[in-house]
Amino acid sequence: MALAMVLSCLAFVSRTLPLLLVLSAANILVLVWLRRGPRTLKRELRTFCWQTLIILSLYLLRFRSMDGLWAGFKVSWQLFLAMLPVMAVSKTVSQAAAVRTLSRILPGQMAFVLSTCIKFVPLLLAEIKNIYEGQVLRGARILPRDLVRPWHWPDLLHCVIVPSIVQGMALAGNIALAAKARGFGRSPRRTCWPGM
Amino acid sequence: MQRSVFKDTAPAGRPTLKEALFLGFCAVFAVLARVALRLKLHITGHSMLPTVFFLMLARGSVRYRFGAVFTAVMAGSAAMFLGFAKSGPLILIKYLAVAIVIDVMAMLLPGRFHTVFWSALTGALAGSTKFVSEFAIGALAGMDQEVNLTKSLIEGGSAALFGLLAGALIPVVLRRLRAYGVIS
Repeated sequence: MALAMVLSCLAFVSRTLPLLLVLSAANILVLVWLRRGPRTLKRELRTFCWQTLIILSLYLLRFRSMDGLWAGFKVSWQLFLAMLPVMAVSKTVSQAAAVRTLSRILPGQMAFVLSTCIKFVPLLLAEIKNIYEGQVLRGARILPRDLVRPWHWPDLLHCVIVPSIVQGMALAGNIALAAKARGFGRSPRRTCWPGM
Repeated sequence: MQRSVFKDTAPAGRPTLKEALFLGFCAVFAVLARVALRLKLHITGHSMLPTVFFLMLARGSVRYRFGAVFTAVMAGSAAMFLGFAKSGPLILIKYLAVAIVIDVMAMLLPGRFHTVFWSALTGALAGSTKFVSEFAIGALAGMDQEVNLTKSLIEGGSAALFGLLAGALIPVVLRRLRAYGVIS
């Protein structure tokens, strides 16, 4: 992660062609080291192309010359190199490792809350799916073909979004109760179970 | 005296565990909705719709004064560590800028987003922070000032529009939640 941050920061200060080429080579080496195949690079390159198109058209409007286009391409290249290493690293880190790292950086309660929420999100998504299917069976106009018409959007809000928020609140209450029952927050010092 | 597990209390100035968990869900959903929208649409600034919606919902549903900032820190961390952050560590700053505007507006507005007008205005202001973050990133990369300004204005304006839409939805949702007795 630290290496990715350094490479990302270096992208902002690399303003010349040789530096950008060296940094690009370093990024490719990191991708190979992280065992990210050409598919990852292809996906990120698609974002790069989209971003370059916008920046180049703005530079062309401003300068109306090839020099302007080159400057625009260089900026787009820099922005791409600033984002690529962090994207690659964050996709290779497992969830467990991410949570372990989180608990080192964030305060105890926040790390617990975040890791718990990530863990329970699939359950909440399943609940939301059940709510959605139930409302469709009741005749709510929330199928994808209905949502093409904007006047059906309030149905989605009232039939799915509000009940899902209520469900989320209820789940949060249950988790909090279970955590309290296991002594979470009883001691000001951070503890974990089983004892280490 | 025996402690009760049913009484969800927290030290002054901190959210209760239930509130914190709800804020956590808002944070995770803000990230997931942002990713889902990115897959389907390619409209500039559209990601501000779920971001503003969930951050304002988080602030409007709990009594904790810094609810939006708390949610933003968690959303930024989740996005960074789960690999959904296109802009790396800058994602945290992007979420925080939106959250600070929401928390400040919630402090200034005693009604906590009861009216559509003030809520939509808060959403638009929160969305327009994208102008600042985009301009800063462009300036760091050495982009031409005029091009950077144009690009940031386009992105910021579009984000403000989506923020306004999200803000306008919040009073309706909060009214329904209050009617269900979920929030006080």
